[in-house]
Amino acid sequence: MTERPHDTSDAAPSGTSGSGAPDPTLTRAGFFVVTGKGGVGKSAVAATLGRASARRGRRTVVVEVDPRENLHQLLGTAPSGGEILEASDLEQGLFLQHLKPRAVVDRVIEERVKVGAVVRKVQASIVYQHFVEGCPGLEELAVLEHARRLLAERRFDTVILDAPATGHGVSLLRAPLVVSEAVGEGPFGTIAREIADLVADPARCGVVIVTQAEEMPVQEARDLARMLGEHLDRRPDLLVVNGLYPPLPRGEGDAGDEAGAPDALLDLWRRRRAINRRELRRLAETWPGEMVGLPLLPIGRGTELVAALDACWSSDPYRALGSVGAKTGRSARRERRAGRPGGAK
Amino acid sequence: MSAGPERGGGALLSGESPLVVVVGSGGVGKTTLAAALGLRSARAGRDTLVMTFDPSLRLKDALGVTDEARDREVPVPVPTGQEGGDGRETGLLEASLLDPRRTFDRLVERYAPDEAARRRILENRFYRHLAGTLSGVLEYMAVERLFEVSREGRYEQIILDTPPTTQALDFLEAPARIVGFLESGALKIALRDWFDDEGHLKASTGWKFLDRKIEHLLDRVIGLEFLREMLEFFQAFGPLYDGFRERAGEVEELLKSTRTRFVLVAGPGEERIPDTLFFARKLREAGYSLGPIVVNRVHPSFPGEEGRLEDGGSRCTPDGRALFAWLGAQDRRGFEQLRSLVHAEQPLVGLPLQPEEPTDLASLDALGTELLRRLDEPDPDA
Repeated sequence: MTERPHDTSDAAPSGTSGSGAPDPTLTRAGFFVVTGKGGVGKSAVAATLGRASARRGRRTVVVEVDPRENLHQLLGTAPSGGEILEASDLEQGLFLQHLKPRAVVDRVIEERVKVGAVVRKVQASIVYQHFVEGCPGLEELAVLEHARRLLAERRFDTVILDAPATGHGVSLLRAPLVVSEAVGEGPFGTIAREIADLVADPARCGVVIVTQAEEMPVQEARDLARMLGEHLDRRPDLLVVNGLYPPLPRGEGDAGDEAGAPDALLDLWRRRRAINRRELRRLAETWPGEMVGLPLLPIGRGTELVAALDACWSSDPYRALGSVGAKTGRSARRERRAGRPGGAK
Repeated sequence: MSAGPERGGGALLSGESPLVVVVGSGGVGKTTLAAALGLRSARAGRDTLVMTFDPSLRLKDALGVTDEARDREVPVPVPTGQEGGDGRETGLLEASLLDPRRTFDRLVERYAPDEAARRRILENRFYRHLAGTLSGVLEYMAVERLFEVSREGRYEQIILDTPPTTQALDFLEAPARIVGFLESGALKIALRDWFDDEGHLKASTGWKFLDRKIEHLLDRVIGLEFLREMLEFFQAFGPLYDGFRERAGEVEELLKSTRTRFVLVAGPGEERIPDTLFFARKLREAGYSLGPIVVNRVHPSFPGEEGRLEDGGSRCTPDGRALFAWLGAQDRRGFEQLRSLVHAEQPLVGLPLQPEEPTDLASLDALGTELLRRLDEPDPDA
């Protein structure tokens, strides 16, 4: 069970460092995996978490493994090309690294075997190449190992892994377990088990799921949370609901008043907001962890967007969730404070 | 510019292209559009199959599809009646859900020469834990199922939804990759008799470097136990390879047929453009017939609201009218930019963001109709 920060204030004032902030990404350093369905704004959320962390004085790196580099646009740097670059335009102490998983596999194995000539011999052998090509989960494993080492070597206080979007998002987190089960004994199995333990330990590895309040992303977020429970016996630390349409003005309420002149914009707004509300309710019914909502903002992809999302997050983490008519946000927090975790398995 | 047969939405479902493949990045609405096209095809009187991967619960409900569809094609209850341009009656509409693991198991069942071989594969630890996630296998299995169905010839029209992949073309490249793998030396090597009776790597394999020292190193890095499982898997698979190779070749032929039409679905907004262009280029380079590009879920323009762009609302609760005006302008800019970057002849249409995702056959039908209508118009977004 993760320790919950003592929550003394319902309206966390802007810019305070942590106390009262309900989610672990803001209150502690360490390793966080940001995962979710493609197209929900996962990279923007990873960048926002990175900035929030760096702003609190923690030396932070956001690691990207998507084959198409795009995080650098959000962080305002050149493409990383595998190097660690500082995103000083956005925040001091915030870094970015893009990884090519295959290169990481080779490096991790080099480091484990240590003797250069021997490494080259092994790597040149067809058995090895066959193994690297054919072994699913190996690349995921190497990426996690890389992140673990960045922390272990104390090069960073916080490592945020922007996990690759897949149809089955849990695969990165499950990879170590799958590999360790399949490989069984042997040194490789040992590495896999070490990493599997790391990923399963909420004290050492935070899991942030990003979603949008629409049907498919919500379905996938729920599946992810369930699989985390089933396979890793843990739960996600935080759910970020990104891209929420703003609440309707009072009087044009979400209830949907059909009277009056046709207004296509208002109609679209009302109905997309209604979808948001419906899906937030669906999430709130079973979601086992903390939730943060982020608004859809009229800002293009770039450092300005990340700064704005960070500001919205910090000003009041639950603001954008608005009144969804369900026990999200404060009511849920109150219940949890009363010692009843909402919908725990 | 006149709407030639290449552009026309009618042409897409006219029988000229018995196979329509819907491709695009994850989360852009491929599955919904595939279902909508399938419904229109049936409505036009043609027996149609929609093959999908991962439909939302809502879409499954709308199609009346249950998990039964993982094993076989199931009928979608389309209200019958006269419809379609040539007055044909509504055709059959069926749907199936592609499940790579089950397809793989069925394939093993079918091609294993005997019971012992079958069990060797199905009980192999490598197969049980990893084969389903082997790179390319998932995609290949989908293609395998497509081939089965198209050869049976029960349908006049097949609409194939494609799985969400990180590398957009994984799916299409799967048959070629499998063939390449089967024909590479790697397989022959895997099929050698690697281990002696005591479970040591044989030094007599002709690979001189495989002495005890290397064996020890491999053991240190990977673990011999696992290597053995993996090689056993490939060996057990040996008898299946020929069938595999033959079919992979035929599947590739089917996908590259000039009668097969690809519909590329893209998300709106400028940041998606590189993705879309990359996808379109790869399809063309690889020799597939790219049909229309559909930019889906485009926020509509609200010209009257554009003056509001500078209005606020607070920073984190933007004024909704200003936000929608901004989104509309943004998506329109993205569309225009894409238009200027693709070939002048490339059919390209935008589909507006729907107030609701389709939840029943009627709304799917409306979506399909709207898509085909826009495809038939020379410049629908002018």
